[in-house]
Amino acid sequence: MSALARMARTLRRSLLHAVPMALGVVILDFLLLRLMPGDAADVIAGQSGSATAATMAMLRAEYGLDQPILVQLINYLDHLAHFSLGFSAHYNMGVLPLIMSRLPATLSLMLAALGMALVIGIGFGMIMASFEGRWPDRLLSLLVLLFYATPGFWVGLMAVVLFSVKLGWLPSNGDMTIGAGLTGMGLLVDRARYLVLPSLALSSFFIAIYARLTRASMLEMQRQDFIRTAASKGLHPLVIQLRHVLRNALIPVTTVAGLHFANLLGGAVVVETVYGWPGLGRLALDAVLGRDYNVLLGILLMSSFVVIIANALVDVLQGWLDPRIRRR
Amino acid sequence: MSHPRGPKITRRRALAALPALALPRAIGPAAAAGGPERGGTLTLALVAEPTTLVSATNVFTPSLSVSAKVTEGLLEYDDDLNPLPMLATAWSIAPDGLSYTFKLRPGVKWHDGTDFSSADVAYSIMLLSRIHPRGRSTFANVTEVATPDALTAVFHLAKPAPFLIKALVATETPILPRHIYDGTDPFANPNGLAPIGTGPFIFKEWVRGSHIVYERNPAHWAAPRPWLDRLVVTFIPDGAVRSAAFETGRVDLGYRTPVALNDVARLSTVPTLRIVTKGNSYSFNVTRLEFNLDNAFFKNPKVRQAVAHAIDRAAIVRIVYFGLATPCATPIAPGLKQFSDPAPTPYPYDLATAERLLDEAGYPRGADRIRFRVPLDYNPIGDDNRPLAEYLRATLGRIGIGVDVRAQDIGSFIKRVYTDRDFAFTTNGASNLFDPTVGVQRLYWSKNFVKGVPFSNATHYSNSQVDALLEGAAVENDPVQRVAMFKEFQGIVGIDVPDINLCSPTYVTIANQRVHGHSLSADGVESSLMDAYVTA
Amino acid sequence: MSASSIVPVAAMRAAPRGRLLRAFLRNPAFVCGTLLLVVVVCLAIFASWLFPGDPQDMVGSPLLWPFQDMQFPLGTDSLGRDVASGLVHGARVSLLVGVTAAAVGLAIGTLVGAVAGYFGGWIDAVLVRLMELFQTVPPFLLVIVIVAIGTPSAVVIALAIGLSSWPMVARLVRAQFRSLREADFVTSARALGYGAPRIILSEILPNALPPVIVATSAMVANAILTEAGLSFLDMGDPNLVSWGGMIGDGRQFLRTAWFLTALSGTAIALTVLSLNLVGDGLNEVLDPRSGRS
Repeated sequence: MSALARMARTLRRSLLHAVPMALGVVILDFLLLRLMPGDAADVIAGQSGSATAATMAMLRAEYGLDQPILVQLINYLDHLAHFSLGFSAHYNMGVLPLIMSRLPATLSLMLAALGMALVIGIGFGMIMASFEGRWPDRLLSLLVLLFYATPGFWVGLMAVVLFSVKLGWLPSNGDMTIGAGLTGMGLLVDRARYLVLPSLALSSFFIAIYARLTRASMLEMQRQDFIRTAASKGLHPLVIQLRHVLRNALIPVTTVAGLHFANLLGGAVVVETVYGWPGLGRLALDAVLGRDYNVLLGILLMSSFVVIIANALVDVLQGWLDPRIRRR
Repeated sequence: MSHPRGPKITRRRALAALPALALPRAIGPAAAAGGPERGGTLTLALVAEPTTLVSATNVFTPSLSVSAKVTEGLLEYDDDLNPLPMLATAWSIAPDGLSYTFKLRPGVKWHDGTDFSSADVAYSIMLLSRIHPRGRSTFANVTEVATPDALTAVFHLAKPAPFLIKALVATETPILPRHIYDGTDPFANPNGLAPIGTGPFIFKEWVRGSHIVYERNPAHWAAPRPWLDRLVVTFIPDGAVRSAAFETGRVDLGYRTPVALNDVARLSTVPTLRIVTKGNSYSFNVTRLEFNLDNAFFKNPKVRQAVAHAIDRAAIVRIVYFGLATPCATPIAPGLKQFSDPAPTPYPYDLATAERLLDEAGYPRGADRIRFRVPLDYNPIGDDNRPLAEYLRATLGRIGIGVDVRAQDIGSFIKRVYTDRDFAFTTNGASNLFDPTVGVQRLYWSKNFVKGVPFSNATHYSNSQVDALLEGAAVENDPVQRVAMFKEFQGIVGIDVPDINLCSPTYVTIANQRVHGHSLSADGVESSLMDAYVTA
Repeated sequence: MSASSIVPVAAMRAAPRGRLLRAFLRNPAFVCGTLLLVVVVCLAIFASWLFPGDPQDMVGSPLLWPFQDMQFPLGTDSLGRDVASGLVHGARVSLLVGVTAAAVGLAIGTLVGAVAGYFGGWIDAVLVRLMELFQTVPPFLLVIVIVAIGTPSAVVIALAIGLSSWPMVARLVRAQFRSLREADFVTSARALGYGAPRIILSEILPNALPPVIVATSAMVANAILTEAGLSFLDMGDPNLVSWGGMIGDGRQFLRTAWFLTALSGTAIALTVLSLNLVGDGLNEVLDPRSGRS
């Protein structure tokens, strides 16, 4: 079967799979969110510092919060059936355009962090596995453990003090220089400079995980019969490492990376707050605090879809990495 | 009539800055030697993102911060809240206080080219009296707004409203374009997201989660102002990062103490930064400890008096506010000079008396030295309430009251205190706003004990004498008589202690030294910023 | 989210007790981690004896630096509270939150995983869907929502973290059960007429536990880090001193009194480090295939 057809099949299966999943997410989250005390009208009035009984009633009527919960759920599902994610009480705009306006920032942050974590993590893991038990392994193991053990937001704050304030090398808030009117290469460099600190803070934890995983699975692979066979055939050790050991060791790493998409979004909540990154993580936190149910539901739905798509891509990738999976 | 505030005045005003704070280099918004210069970009830093860019349906602080740049008001105010012309050039109040006549500025145009007229004013006032969080009370007595001609608007009132003339600043009473709002749902009107106004800045773009860009309105009625070519408003949620942004010059201006309270002293030593307290007099806050008078412990006046005796306001100002507050034992902030009662509290800091009162109230110390335990809820908005709650836990622990601080987000807090009334006492801030009838009456008036309405009478305080004074002052046309009524009111609640007023925070504005001409009026950075300019 | 848990681990081989102990002792990282963890646990247990009195009491002048006043060897925070006392009492809270959260996550995860793996079929299909559903929700966001539903007390926080971390355990246990349910000893137990609960609890579970034990250390570590993140967002328990809360409080003072965040951050890092070293040690010894064999 051609790779393209296979990929199409995997994606189709994932999407079919996604519909009942999305329904489950919506119903579970809808009920969960209603358990939070207070509603958007309470928050809006609380933030305004003023209210009257009439304005409270008006706000609730405006956002349909005066309806019974079941009616609200049916209304929401009805919106969904018409490909609408509803209206945000807090931002006075549709949820879909609101999410879309902040999705690119979060995706770029997540992809940068994931990329950084995979490249550095796998690199470290390879070095550690190759020097098993010797000092580079021990040193990197310790470093990686420190990455794991130090809270990412703490690293982030320290990095702001060092790189933004003391050294003045990197910006610390936002995702681009406002109004610089840059284009082409200049724009790319500008964005990249803003991306460095937040993606580092977000990725440190995952670097540690991938490094340890790569090391463990490479060591596991090295003991396999076919690797010994390859070695006995006189293949260069580096070729064996890259073509056979790493390739197979990547399977667990990619599986885990697929699962980590949701965790990355969770981590983004804190990192985006530290760095004023205009993404979905902070929007989600604001939506929880603001009792902006539609926005939060929209983000959770979006997150489910992203995770499902990421896992489908991982399936495809693994088929390429391991021919045995392809035949299954 | 010419606009009375030129940049020339600023040097004199500069001397008034920061009298109480021994901060080094605390210089006011001084003008540069050469006077205002046209051009340049000013970056204003906010703690949070606005939810709407027009403060009509929502008066969340970030929305107030940006609204007046585009949407103007009838009046503006000096530091003592005396009215100054804005969209209205002249005004008069009938002796009976039942009609207000405003002459409007001629030749003003909305950003889309439509002419501004008295119809917009009439429409806005009637709309705000329906949808504004405070509009229903502020304009309660307004029966209609007549428009005898395009440049005259006359408010007709059923009863006098002596506070009304102070309510007409751009952020509190924004004048909206009738042709855009008429016949629409004001909450969902797109004007809240991309406003059209008469103001000195034209809305350009709003990048969600990041920033808003405004550009100079070349056709503004105050030409050659505004001086700035561009105004950028950026949102920085993290306090440490905000401090860093001021230090590195990435942002130029921030107000209402835009950094952590403890960081102000350090930033005041940064050579490029100027720290001023001026321009924060439209809305004074009072930090309060509110009792639930339906609570088994706190319905006893002796227990409340004991708590009052256990509190050292000077310590709160020092520990919680790092000096950036004024002790205040009454509901009316010292900032509202003519109304605030400077008389000392009848219950000064005295732990021995506090202990005696608790013994008398029938709560002796138990085996664990604790008399009783109560939860303390704090309002999570602002970074002062949690350390304040922690101070109170420590000091009340000394007189044997065990306090469990309870944290929750704003939605849960509002629901718990105002709807469920499931609380014992709470630390809360309340704004006096521009007048005690608007800002203070709601907290003590027995008829404003309304479940489910935030910032109503949460204590469930009910005193007919207080009710009579508040209701009288709300319609009293004689200013002297009105002040006397508020003084008497303060005396009574001071003795009754339904709540304990602790202090009034001092808000500071931080500006890069290149920024001038800000903080000239009572609403400072919240004003239109048409006088602000930057130098190289 | 754990590294070690994903590493395939074989069931515990029937090794003589002495050899197992010697294997542990030969592993210096494991010994270091255990010692460190023992110190932290001892501090937590003897906190009230080492630093009597409420750690949240304002006892000194605010913001004293470490060693400035030997009455407060690690200084005081902005409210004049003793940092050393806070760190020691904080060990108790952080560990309790960590262990409770891990226990909740383990209990739910083991139950769901065992049922799904043992019975298979439609029960398995439904439970796997449930796991997947939970895994598409960002765990940290789920924790925030649950904490907002309750109040931010230590108990609610621990429950919330536990509720957000069970799917990982469930997957692990399910995989073990699937591979063990056709094992000889299970088949013979079934032939003897044992009921499903008995087979699950007394036959398969003990043999499925080693990887779960290894995962536990990572779960405790994760819970401590999550609690710190919550406190950083001002969603911690205000009545208890936890390390996360100390970072949260100290973050305002990052520039003027960095020792506040540095000390509590170091405490978290060391504890999480020790938990990991212990987890790695367990992994290496319990699974002869990994590590140097």
